[in-house]
Amino acid sequence: MKRRTFVQTAGGSALGLLGAGLPLMGHAQDRYAKYKGQTVVMSIPSHPHYDAMAKLLPEFTRQTGIKVETDRLAMARMKDKQLLEMAKPSGDYDLACYVVMWKGEYVKKNLVRELEPFFKNAALADPDYDFKDLVPRYVENIGLVGGPKGYLAGPGAKLYGLPYGAETSILAYRRDVFSKLNLRPPETYAELEKLLPVLKDKAGMGALTSRGQAGHQCVHAWLLHLNPLGGKVFDDQWKPRFNDTQGVQALKMLKLISDTGPVGIPGYGQGEMITSFLQGQAAMYLDSSLIFGQVNDPAKSKIGGQVSYVVHPKGVRYSSQSGGLGLAIPKNAKNPDAAFLLLQWLTSKPQDKAVAKVGGVPTRNSTLNDLEMVRQYPEYITLRQQLEYSDPDWRPIIAEWDEINIQALGVAVSEALTGKKSPEDALNGMVPKVTDIMKRGGYLKA
Amino acid sequence: MRTPRWVPLVYLGPAVAVMAVACLVPLLSALQLGFYDWSMGTPWGEARWVGLDAFIAAFNDAAVWRSLVTTLMFAAVCVTAEMLLGIALALALEGDVRGMAFFRTLFILPMMIAPIAVGLTWRYLFDAQFGLLNAIIALFGAAPVGWLAQEHTAFIAIIIADIWQWTPFVFIMMIAGLANVDSSVLEAARIDGATWWQATMRVKLPMIMHVIAITLLMRLIDAFRVLEVIYILTFGGPGDSTEILSLHIYKTAFVGQRLGSAAAISVLLLVVVAALSWLALKLSNPLKGDER
Repeated sequence: MKRRTFVQTAGGSALGLLGAGLPLMGHAQDRYAKYKGQTVVMSIPSHPHYDAMAKLLPEFTRQTGIKVETDRLAMARMKDKQLLEMAKPSGDYDLACYVVMWKGEYVKKNLVRELEPFFKNAALADPDYDFKDLVPRYVENIGLVGGPKGYLAGPGAKLYGLPYGAETSILAYRRDVFSKLNLRPPETYAELEKLLPVLKDKAGMGALTSRGQAGHQCVHAWLLHLNPLGGKVFDDQWKPRFNDTQGVQALKMLKLISDTGPVGIPGYGQGEMITSFLQGQAAMYLDSSLIFGQVNDPAKSKIGGQVSYVVHPKGVRYSSQSGGLGLAIPKNAKNPDAAFLLLQWLTSKPQDKAVAKVGGVPTRNSTLNDLEMVRQYPEYITLRQQLEYSDPDWRPIIAEWDEINIQALGVAVSEALTGKKSPEDALNGMVPKVTDIMKRGGYLKA
Repeated sequence: MRTPRWVPLVYLGPAVAVMAVACLVPLLSALQLGFYDWSMGTPWGEARWVGLDAFIAAFNDAAVWRSLVTTLMFAAVCVTAEMLLGIALALALEGDVRGMAFFRTLFILPMMIAPIAVGLTWRYLFDAQFGLLNAIIALFGAAPVGWLAQEHTAFIAIIIADIWQWTPFVFIMMIAGLANVDSSVLEAARIDGATWWQATMRVKLPMIMHVIAITLLMRLIDAFRVLEVIYILTFGGPGDSTEILSLHIYKTAFVGQRLGSAAAISVLLLVVVAALSWLALKLSNPLKGDER
């Protein structure tokens, strides 16, 4: 069975959504009438996709009579607030946006609701929803918990959230710069490695922008290269293997990127990384597909009309990021049904297209294949290709990941980037700490 | 008529009770938390008693000691610089300088800005590509510097941001202290032939020593608690070179979800701050004068 088919089947069977004959009837107006006047409170981040979403909300209220309030926080502060709210007997949030890495923890702590009962409720479910149309890799990565490894599709997986603001990695490059220097965008990591110093010398700008700030940011950048180069953070028995040949090779690659990129990469968060590309300080960008909506926005970008896209270069395999944001209904939501109706509406075919039109991220194959949308965003053609290689096992989405990510690997990778330690020493030095965390989490014997 | 002994107790009682509750309850809660393994978002009933494990682990954790050293260095440099600059500014602007009211207002503005905004502002100023600092050094033909990308420059960056924000606090305290210096004493010093420097060092500053001591103490305590600006500027990096203890506690609690361990480290921080405060008060007890 092809992986894609398997994912669809596993995700779908976990839900029981894909079987024919579910009593998903219900007239749209009947669905909403009971909840008219209710207010759905959403916890959302400051994020371009959610900026785009905000433009759609008045239409939802107009159509349904359900009001929506948003509590917008910086991404880094959102989790603390959500944990506090969702742990109360009755919380303030009806719908919570979460980063994919938090899904396991939220489910483990029994803070969010399974979505299957909502989709099976004929009074709520939209018969035209077409669950299969959601990009399966996004659904698996962001929505499913309880399957193999705890976060992949397969036996035991259940749906707890839907992708909304999902992303994969893609390579964007300055067509004008490459054309002037008679260069081709890299298809492999070997080509990328050769290209970086050439661009640095000849392009008059950094070769490739990257995140690099200590903590989550630099680990994200390292993982971007680790997976295509054949590495993983853990082996199949959850023993750390991030310090093996592939891990070191990926960190050396990141160091090269930092040394040939725009000045200051070891201090770059996602914002600085994107800005340096949009402001013409780097010839390439290899990170989230979130960049699509921003390249041609004159308020943010000086390089509109000069950017092309290719798939994430191949190492020993093609493997691109799987990540981004999803929406879930807290256990203690005051208006869970109305929250589900909003969630369903936002992720429906028409609204997925609508949010993409105003700069958001598409979550559905129908949007990616829509001719009108492809005319607006020709990069969707590359994105469709890229999604074939999006790896749901790109990083271990276990409850302990935040600590490993920020307090262990986030220090090691950063120290290698600044040259304080060699890549080998930096990664080897963190094995005991990560092993301790995994023992504490019960993954390894104490 | 002599006031009964219990009257002051009645007057003081409510305030003392409120203070005791406000201070002791969180303190005891933190102490209690240190004995449990509890993750935020789970019922307290699921918390696991771990005894002294978290305290022992904190003592044995190299990262905690690294953070403590970083914190001590940060506090020492920042507080020293803020005290010196604040006193110097106050001395320069205490008299009838033209436009002094404007300068006083200008100097206290940074203190009024929210720490998150301060962090974001300095993050932009230190930006390697678009920051003001690099724009200035570019005028002299220098290559751009990744201020937040190297350990030593990142450490300097967080110190500069703190000095910028909190020197005004010292300035205000000193201006207030200097305003209360008896002018006749200064006049007497001048008649005795004291120079400006001598009058300042031997008369003015000794007379406001109690204000200096209190200000030093407050800044010292605050320097150990600073979080937001460093969180925004460097998030403790590169590596963990700017991870002061309060940020380490934050990460342990909200990233690692080990609230018990975070509480245990907080108690350690409390002990360090209390010891330093005691030392500062011992060296220059602001109440000494009243006792005399």
